[in-house]
Amino acid sequence: MTALRAFAARLLATFRVERSVDLDEEVRAHLEMQAQEYERRGLTPEAARAAALERFGPVEPMKNTYRDRRIFPTVEAILRDVRYSARFIRRSPGFALMALSTLAIGIGATTAVFSLVNRALFQPLPVERPNEIVSLSNGGSRGMLNLFSYPNYEDLRDRADVFDALVAYRFTPIAASANGVNERLWAYLVSGNYFGVLGVRPAIGRAISLEDDAQRGASPVAVISFRYWQQRFGGDAGAIGRPVVVNGRTYTIIGVAPRGFFGTEVAAAPDFWFPLAMQPVIESGSPRIDDRRADTVFVLGRLRAGVGRPQASAALDGVAAGLSREFPDVNEAMRVVLSPTGLFGGMMRGPVLGFTGLLLVIAGLVLLLACVNLANLLLARAIDRRHEVAIRLSIGAGRVALLRQLLIESLMLSSAAGVAGLMLAWWLMRSASAMRLPVDIPIVLDLPLDGRVLLFSVLLSLVTAVMFGLVPALQATKVDLAGVLKDSASSSQRRTVRWRSALIVVQVAVSLVLLTGAGLMWRALGRTQTIALGFSTRGALEVSFDLRLQGYAPENGREIHRRLIDSVRALPGITQAALADIVPIDLHFGRGRVYAEESAAEREVRTPVAYSSRITPGYFRTMGTRLEEGRDFTEFDNQDSQRVVIVNRSLASRLWPGQSALGRRLGIGRVMGFGTPGSQAGRSDIFEVVGIVEDGKYGGFNDNGALAVFRPLFQSYSGATSVVARTDGDIGAAIAAVRGAVREIDPNMPIGAARSFEERLSVPLLPARVTALALAGFGALALVLAAIGLYGVMSYSVSSRTHEIGIRMTLGAQPSDVLRLIYGQGSRLIGIGVVAGVVLAVFVTRLMRALLFGISPTDPMTYVAVVIGLSVVALLACWIPARRALKTDPVEALRVS
Amino acid sequence: MAQTDVPAGTLTLMVLRTLDQMGPQHGYGIARRIEQVSGDRLQLNQGTIYPALLQLEQNGWIKGSWGVSENNRRARYYAISRAGKRRLAVEEDRWRVASETILKFLAPTSDRGVS
Repeated sequence: MTALRAFAARLLATFRVERSVDLDEEVRAHLEMQAQEYERRGLTPEAARAAALERFGPVEPMKNTYRDRRIFPTVEAILRDVRYSARFIRRSPGFALMALSTLAIGIGATTAVFSLVNRALFQPLPVERPNEIVSLSNGGSRGMLNLFSYPNYEDLRDRADVFDALVAYRFTPIAASANGVNERLWAYLVSGNYFGVLGVRPAIGRAISLEDDAQRGASPVAVISFRYWQQRFGGDAGAIGRPVVVNGRTYTIIGVAPRGFFGTEVAAAPDFWFPLAMQPVIESGSPRIDDRRADTVFVLGRLRAGVGRPQASAALDGVAAGLSREFPDVNEAMRVVLSPTGLFGGMMRGPVLGFTGLLLVIAGLVLLLACVNLANLLLARAIDRRHEVAIRLSIGAGRVALLRQLLIESLMLSSAAGVAGLMLAWWLMRSASAMRLPVDIPIVLDLPLDGRVLLFSVLLSLVTAVMFGLVPALQATKVDLAGVLKDSASSSQRRTVRWRSALIVVQVAVSLVLLTGAGLMWRALGRTQTIALGFSTRGALEVSFDLRLQGYAPENGREIHRRLIDSVRALPGITQAALADIVPIDLHFGRGRVYAEESAAEREVRTPVAYSSRITPGYFRTMGTRLEEGRDFTEFDNQDSQRVVIVNRSLASRLWPGQSALGRRLGIGRVMGFGTPGSQAGRSDIFEVVGIVEDGKYGGFNDNGALAVFRPLFQSYSGATSVVARTDGDIGAAIAAVRGAVREIDPNMPIGAARSFEERLSVPLLPARVTALALAGFGALALVLAAIGLYGVMSYSVSSRTHEIGIRMTLGAQPSDVLRLIYGQGSRLIGIGVVAGVVLAVFVTRLMRALLFGISPTDPMTYVAVVIGLSVVALLACWIPARRALKTDPVEALRVS
Repeated sequence: MAQTDVPAGTLTLMVLRTLDQMGPQHGYGIARRIEQVSGDRLQLNQGTIYPALLQLEQNGWIKGSWGVSENNRRARYYAISRAGKRRLAVEEDRWRVASETILKFLAPTSDRGVS
């Protein structure tokens, strides 16, 4: 208590300067009183005064002790530095503004990107003790997604004793209707222990229990999301017990999930949770969860206390081996892999890391540039401050104290920029959160400004201060006193100029990297306009719907499909129409292993993976895809006839190189999709090839020579389909008309997407567009910074060489000689920077390969264009200083010195 | 932050005791009083009283305020606070126990058998 009090007193005194005069007065009074005493005893005033002083002891040392004890001396010195620095910064507001804005942009952008990385990779799940939770993935030979079949999940759950518990869930689109609002939303179907094991307690009501999940189809209950509760029920506690109609059946709301609980996948935030036991009812027509061959559920586990990941992994390998032995046909070579949670059991981790990492690199480079630029300006100022520094050094200030003051100046700038940058980042993050991604999955994009992001921005500000402040501070304090006195260009000055030149090289190099990246992205985006898609987008549209959501059985569904095609074809303005279960280009395009019938024996070894979709006759004509050999499907390719497929050119020549594929037979393994669990599970079937179509893009723009196989929808039913149609008239009117036709079949049918192909293709281009935009923006910023820096260095060089130029001109140098002198220096810096930048760019742009749609990261066109563009801008920055050099009046120049 | 340097306890005790007995005093008065009580045996540089006073004030045991001295001069007067009185009691006890113990050791004893 006393110690605290003393500490507070000292701290308070540290921030108040004026009180220190009090002691002087006290000492004066003391000495006077003592002297009077001596005078009374008969000494002369002079002798009395001397005796008093003698009695008092040494005054100055006492005052020093007193001072050091009254305040915190170091703190006080730093405060003095802060005041001094603040005065200095205020004296040059232009510099301060420039420094603040460039740094704030750099820090803000980097922090915002980091918050994305933070959300995607580091954010724990919103559950109890999240670090105990791991994601189990099926690393077996068949799995495309990290899913397990439900029976395998049950066996893992019962046999793996390294876990407290394992939970299972899958997610699926649903049509939900509550309070008269009909919408298409996403739901998790969860095992009965899901909420209990995760430790998620509902905001109100109760969670799904083990009893709810005990018997198939017996417990029509639902937990709703906090968001849905607010939106549809206005946060009314009376929502508990209310009915909600989902996929044609009524469920009772039993609870509301807590606010902020977004489920257990970052990229899939649901509005509903149902017991997994209701799966056959909710997803009629989908693979049954009781089928061991159908991988249907994601699995998470809570590690038992004291069990490490390696130990758990080893135990799981044992269990998996047992399951492989017991069910050799379905669980062949089963392996279980542990991975962090939140990104579909590690499946999305690589791509997410790649994309966010690239953005982080870009933002970091811009921050680096801002630092370099600032360092450059500070170096210039260091030269202006030579006198001030020399004076302070000569009156006895230590170099360390000077360094401290200069670094405090940097720190003040960077902290202010950090605050501004954080505000910018917050705004960017808010905008990103508010943005509705045109993607048909419920990605969680709320970017929280949490402790980790704050810490990151603070550290970033500190590092920034050192990066831009240290070199100039070291240079500024390395003053050659004699040189300054003589006011001639000293060696330290020349060193400073060398530093500034080096920084210019860095700037040119980094902006070249950024601009090259931007250039490559623009080339790639341009290429997507001319790229061979294998279909044509003009006048094409899709309207997707899901019959399962309204509870239609396959028998009725087939009939509806036939009626719908007929009615769409009859619409005015529609020239072609067909159905498909998935439309390119879609990340979720189904994939399965294919093999030639004759090589079936070796099929598990290395069978190729092909994109797979189900289509109706006329699909290729509608899409504008060329049929190269054979025939299209017809009405007669139905359940009662021979099973047939159409393959693309690449698949034909992969399975039967050098031979005709027509009439050959192939097998298709299990087809896995993402969010469209419509495939007939488990059956590996043999099909006859009746047609061959041209290659195209299916899952992404990067598909090159991708394999594809098409089956007739009428032979292999899917409840989730899209109408694809082509119009020669207004696309908007056509979309509305097709929508109407779907609604006519069932007025309650929820429609997933209704859009033109142009709009549809913008989705897979989104990451590329974002990157291109970021790169172009940052690249331009970088170029401006580099130009400013170059201009500064050249101006300084010209002004410090005025004398030399004057002499040269007097001696008969022509203007062209002077220009050569100036440009020689500038272009050498630019040249080195460009070479370094090109080397750097070749390495860095490799990171972007996935976004380049086939453009080479070393595309010569881009490099040439960027190098020329950058050089022109850089040389222009030298132009003004060069012109000033030309205007040098030799007589004036010589007279000045 | 137990401050046991320069005044090393004794000065603290003497200052607090002086202020407790004589009421508010200025620095000179306190220094003189200590010299008188100690019979001028304790020769201290009077100046050292000021850092000690500062420390006591920071600890909240005394309170300083400006007043006018006997010879009509502005001077800083220190008064003991309630916390200071509590502290004085503690210090007095400690010194009494300590000095009694030491005295016992120094006393010529006959009853303490040496084995």
